Amino acid sequence: MTVFKGFLSITKRNLGMMLLYIIIFLTISIFAQKMLDPADASGFKAEQLDIAVIDRDGGALAKGLTDYLGLFHNLKDLPDDKSILQDRLFYRDIYYIVTIPEDFEEACLSGSEKLSVTKVPGSTTGYYVDQQINTFLNSVRTMTAGGFSVSDAVARAAEYASSPPDVTLIDKTGHGGSMAQHAFMFQYMPYIMLSILCYTLSFIMIAFGKPDVKKRTLCSCISARSMNLQLIAGHAVVGLGIFAICTVMPAILYGRSFLSDPHLPYYLLNSFIMMLVSLSIAFLISSFPINEEIINGIVNVITLGMAFTCGVFVSMDILGKGVRTIARFLPVYWYETTNSLIAGNRTFTDSQTAELWRGYGIQLLFMAAFFGIALVLRRNRAIAER
Amino acid sequence: MIHMENLVKRYGSVVALDHLSLDIEEGEVFGLLGPNGSGKTTAIGCLLALLKYDKGTITVLGKEMRPDSYDLKKDIGVVMQNVAVFEQMSVLENIDYFCGLYVKDKTRRKELVEEAIRFTGLEDYRKARPKKLSGGLLRRLNIACGIVHKPRLIILDEPTVAVDPQSRNKILEGILELNRQGSTIIYTSHYMEEVEQICSRIAIIDHGRVLATGTTEELKNMIKTGETITIEAVAIEERLIAELCTLPHVFDVTYEEQVLKIRLSSAKHNLVRILNFLTERDISFGRVFSELPTLNDVFLEITGKELRD
Repeated sequence: MTVFKGFLSITKRNLGMMLLYIIIFLTISIFAQKMLDPADASGFKAEQLDIAVIDRDGGALAKGLTDYLGLFHNLKDLPDDKSILQDRLFYRDIYYIVTIPEDFEEACLSGSEKLSVTKVPGSTTGYYVDQQINTFLNSVRTMTAGGFSVSDAVARAAEYASSPPDVTLIDKTGHGGSMAQHAFMFQYMPYIMLSILCYTLSFIMIAFGKPDVKKRTLCSCISARSMNLQLIAGHAVVGLGIFAICTVMPAILYGRSFLSDPHLPYYLLNSFIMMLVSLSIAFLISSFPINEEIINGIVNVITLGMAFTCGVFVSMDILGKGVRTIARFLPVYWYETTNSLIAGNRTFTDSQTAELWRGYGIQLLFMAAFFGIALVLRRNRAIAER
Repeated sequence: MIHMENLVKRYGSVVALDHLSLDIEEGEVFGLLGPNGSGKTTAIGCLLALLKYDKGTITVLGKEMRPDSYDLKKDIGVVMQNVAVFEQMSVLENIDYFCGLYVKDKTRRKELVEEAIRFTGLEDYRKARPKKLSGGLLRRLNIACGIVHKPRLIILDEPTVAVDPQSRNKILEGILELNRQGSTIIYTSHYMEEVEQICSRIAIIDHGRVLATGTTEELKNMIKTGETITIEAVAIEERLIAELCTLPHVFDVTYEEQVLKIRLSSAKHNLVRILNFLTERDISFGRVFSELPTLNDVFLEITGKELRD
């Protein structure tokens, strides 16, 4: 097992670099998880805005509308001065201004209302208040048409508004609607696996593949088969070691919530396949006649390139269609798609299960393709050398 | 011990080995001399089954040498022209690694590694990485890795390139010691004085063919030059040089920068005859040197003086 021991001995020399990548990985994962985890994702709370109501009418309907809006929002007491109101809106001290004109009640009930509103153009808050005003006025109009007096109609409309319906969010993920904390770690895992494995293994394989060292080894009485088996064993040990570290980290950080996740086997299988893909990429890189000086650059281009285009650092939802089309030709895309599927669903439908296995299968095909290309390259080089 | 017969190796249209034949006996220090591109390294590559050859046979210890001849490879140690060690391993780890390719027993390996370290004088550098070693120490490490398993046959491909005189001397002494301990040595080098100093038999190869084989003395006897006389003299005329050429045993005369160089075939009283000739013609001269042919003369006369790639 001399070659195997030599392999591990060189691996030991790269422990510092490995540790650095692991620290980067942990920092990014924890930071991103804290940034992206919405605290109110598990419940519903209506938005409350600062708004101003300028009542020039002073009638029952106008007062009723003011009170009604006061049920949902913070009413700011501001003077009826256009420039002041516009200033406050510009600086977002208030988000909406309702101006109730004189004779509003009469005009409203006759269907020719002259309600003037000023809001932040194109804002969702503007539509939100618009909708509430329309709901109130329509209710009042309907009830007055049905024989209610204005004051009764206003009182009933306010009563309906004060008893809002219960809103229950569907817990699609099994983690209160949001992604499990450990899912973030699995999202970033391809970066750490690719970086560490590609860098370390390419570095080691280039050392073993140096023409003089290779010739020297071929002169020895160790068979090519034995040497290859020992190198494969070295790859397996390093690969499994990194996989174990990547799996232990979320277990330590998130404990029971991670270990009791019913999707744990799916996460592990996905990351295990990603580890195999990373090994195959490392094997492919070292099949090219490159030296140690440029490994870092190559590994950075490959890992960061895939990480940014395949949704490791940036959610795939905000990536352009063109980028996503290109990303489909990269294995990390399929890892992230599968990871999102696992993280975003408590149970899988038949089509989702099929999609899950398709994601695993495509990653394995990528792995086989990379190994195949690497073997062909190595064979051609060996023939050329002889 | 080694028998190479009619070896032909082509790289496309280039013939690297052209029916090369060699026989090397057990216990020899065999020198392989040749200019750049003459086929030395290719011949060694074929001998070690690193290269495929197109024609011919190679036998080592009576058995055909093949890429899977692991029983034969066990008895061969190789010191490559370029230093073939792992940059990431220490001196000790490197020697242990290469020893481990041959010797499985841990205790035995430890003994051999220590012996190799002592032999190459690397005791103070066990934990040093190759990057920290000087050129000479690096070469010694390269040798230690090649000989650590105590092989019967050691092939050294220009092991003293870019090495200081002290280290070179240490390496050459070591090679002779290995030979005394029973190893057969094949040694390739560009340094004629090294080959002359340590090799018991030499083959000069060029264009993939063996041009001459023999001991140093045998090779010297093969060439025309028996003696070279060098005389410092002022203003020698062309006429006089032409007359010198007519003297018995003289076959080449050159005069450059007031130095007269006369090459003669082996004969008695060559120097006396030349000096009398100059005295009779009142030619004043300064220092006079008489040299017997060196291996360098043999090499240049056999392979020619034109520059090689």
